[in-house]
Amino acid sequence: MGKLVTEMLKGTLEGIVLAILSGRSAYGYEITAWLRDQGFSDIAEGTIYALLVRVEQRGLVDVEKVPSEKGPPRKVYSLNAQGREYLEEFWTTWSFLAGRLEQLREGGK
Amino acid sequence: MAAEPNEPKNRYRRYLEVVTGSLEDKRRYRQYKTRIRQLPPDYRTAAEAMERYLLHLGLTDGADVTMYEDLADLFERSAIDETPIRDLFGEDPVEFVEAFVANYPAGQWRNRERNRLTSAIKRAAGEEPAGEDRTE
Repeated sequence: MGKLVTEMLKGTLEGIVLAILSGRSAYGYEITAWLRDQGFSDIAEGTIYALLVRVEQRGLVDVEKVPSEKGPPRKVYSLNAQGREYLEEFWTTWSFLAGRLEQLREGGK
Repeated sequence: MAAEPNEPKNRYRRYLEVVTGSLEDKRRYRQYKTRIRQLPPDYRTAAEAMERYLLHLGLTDGADVTMYEDLADLFERSAIDETPIRDLFGEDPVEFVEAFVANYPAGQWRNRERNRLTSAIKRAAGEEPAGEDRTE
C-alpha cells in the first residue's frame, strides 16, 4: 500500500477502530489482524496500541482485563455510550468530507 | 498550632520527596526497568531504543510512570505473541513512537515552549492585552 493511503488513514484510523469495536469487543491484536485482512497491511501494531490507549483515556471505550495463559492479562476493548456518540459524529463528518470530495471530482471532469 | 500526631513524618516525607521525587513513582519505574530487562533480547533492544528516544528528545519528562507501564505491557504482550518487531513498529518507527508519546503529558521543556508559542500568537492576534503573564 502506498504512502498516500497511510497519510489519508491517519485522520480516520480512530473512527475505523471505533467502528470495528461497535460490532464486537476485541483486543489490540485482533483489531490489527482484521485491518491487515482488509488490506491495510502497513499499519503498525504499535500504532493501534497507541490509539487504543488514547480512546481509553478519553473514555470512549470500556476495558476489561482478561487473564491469558501466558504473560500479562489481555485488555479487551468495547465501545461505550460516549464512544457511540463519538462514532456517530465521525460518520457525519465522514459523509460531509466524502460528499465534498465527490463533488470536486465531478466538477473536475 | 497543635501538630497532628503523624504530621512530622508526613512533613519529612514531603520534604524528602521534594528532593528525590515521588518514591512511589520511583518504585514503579524500577519495576518497569526490570520488566524490560526480562524481555527477549530483540524486544529489549527495541524497548530501550524507544526509551532513549523519548527521553533525549524531551518529548516527555520521564516522570510519567504510566507511560512506561503501558510500554512494558505492549512489549511483554508482543514478545509472548511473537509479534515481529517490524510489525510492531511499522515502516516508520518514529511515527509510532510519536503517536504513542502524544498520549501522555509532554515534558516540561516541550510544554513550556508550546505554551509560549500559544500565548505569543494570542498576543500577536490581539486577543490578549500585552504584559499578562505568559509563561506557565
